[in-house]
Amino acid sequence: MSFEVIEVEYIVETKQLTKKFGKETAVDRVDMKIPKGEIYGFLGPNGAGKTTTIRMLLGLMRPSAGTVHIFQQDMQKHKLHILKKVGALVENPSYYPHLTAYENLEALRKIIGCEKSRIYEVLDIVRLTEAAHKKVKGYSLGMKQRLGIAAALLNKPELLILDEPTNGLDPSGIIEMRNLIKSLPQQYGMTVLISSHLLSEIDQIATTVGVVAKGKLIYQGSIESMRRYSQQKVKMRVSQGDRAWRSLIASGIKAEYSDDVLILQEDADEKIAAAVRTLVRDGVSVYRIEEEKRSLEDVFLQMTGKEGIV
Amino acid sequence: MIGSLLRVDLLKIKRKGLWFLTFLGPIGVVALQIVNYGVRKDYLLQQSDDDWLYYLDWVHSFTPLALVLGIAILTSSMASIENETNAWKQLMSLPVRKMSVYLSKFTVLAVLLLVSSCILMVAAAGLGMYLELGPEIPYAHLLQISFYPFFASLPILALQLWVATVSENQGIPITLSVVSFILAYSAHSLPDWLIWKWPTLMNSWDEPLVSAFLGLGVGAVLYVAGMIDFARRDVR
Repeated sequence: MSFEVIEVEYIVETKQLTKKFGKETAVDRVDMKIPKGEIYGFLGPNGAGKTTTIRMLLGLMRPSAGTVHIFQQDMQKHKLHILKKVGALVENPSYYPHLTAYENLEALRKIIGCEKSRIYEVLDIVRLTEAAHKKVKGYSLGMKQRLGIAAALLNKPELLILDEPTNGLDPSGIIEMRNLIKSLPQQYGMTVLISSHLLSEIDQIATTVGVVAKGKLIYQGSIESMRRYSQQKVKMRVSQGDRAWRSLIASGIKAEYSDDVLILQEDADEKIAAAVRTLVRDGVSVYRIEEEKRSLEDVFLQMTGKEGIV
Repeated sequence: MIGSLLRVDLLKIKRKGLWFLTFLGPIGVVALQIVNYGVRKDYLLQQSDDDWLYYLDWVHSFTPLALVLGIAILTSSMASIENETNAWKQLMSLPVRKMSVYLSKFTVLAVLLLVSSCILMVAAAGLGMYLELGPEIPYAHLLQISFYPFFASLPILALQLWVATVSENQGIPITLSVVSFILAYSAHSLPDWLIWKWPTLMNSWDEPLVSAFLGLGVGAVLYVAGMIDFARRDVR
């Protein structure tokens, strides 16, 4: 296979992906694009359709409409071939409680067909080496979660899909997991899809984000451009607010006015300077100019259709 | 692929008591005859000219019930291994075909039942010799009561595995196994076409081989139907 590297190589690409359960549409025409080597944060409130989308990416569910391409191959046609290079942790970790961690991984290894030494490698990565020969029954939730991640890493995947991987981990575990996930693209050239309902989680790991709400993908792009959304407003406290507002409007600068505070939607330096110049010229006293930072959290809540509680 | 799946399934049934049950079933059936002949051997020997055949029929009278019960417990344990933490999704996101997964589960269960049948044969022969029923062991009849019920009960196995793997509510396979057990218990009064009668090897043709062949044929049909349905469904 040869192609020009002018276009971005998408590891995952869905087109109009849709899943219906009866009348309810769980995933609605999602066009997801994950470039190679990225950590894609898949963000959305609980029940937005994240897990359903992930299940379709893994071929666990058949889409009602639309297509899934992974490694630029059609999932329907090349499922087994694709899954050889994919590692996944879906929802709650699955394990066999009556077997030890080693046996659990051995059960997967026999199917994948990698070397036995790889089991100890992945156990070491998730720091479960000491508990390797204990039954998983007695593991803490965090340990089970780590075992799930070890299982996902077993086949040295090119695409790693982690659905809510930090669920049930303690703070130090979360930090550890975050560092591990961050290191994967550089160290092993993996592409990672990580889903979460916590923005703070995604914010610290992801390079690209997709925001899903009510089954629809409502935002997709770099985390930087999402962050840009969050710094749009400039607040000015002025004397004679009403007159100030009029003079801004008169000189073609959009602003809102309430309680002696002008709110400018513009955030380009030049536009702000122009606004200040106008106000000074018209004899309005400017007391304060401040940037009102909307947190990413607010942006997220706004995107997903809930009002931010300030 | 199927080879590695089989090895994986054999690994997974470790410590689940499936092997224990596999041995317990046939030994239990023969143990009942230890009690039976222990208590009233002289009376029983008077009942028939052919002591061996009479004894083997006694052994066989408990086999269908043990088989149906064994199938119910084995299949539900087998399905529970994957259902417990919903490991189906993990298993199916590996490069495996759903049909192979199903085939592997079915094969392991069938092998366990076959092992049970072998143990039944050895134990029944051993007890018979211990009871000194005669120098001539009727091998044909011994093989018949040991292995025909296995083939005749394959439809029950296929049905039970199908229901156990596709039911989200595990109450459904449990209900089915209770119904199966009741039907097998009253097998004598069932019509020939009901699969629960077949393990008794009784039929209107008076030919045990018919029950075995019916079991094999209908078992294969139910197995294929279950496998196709299992593969067609979304993974839970």
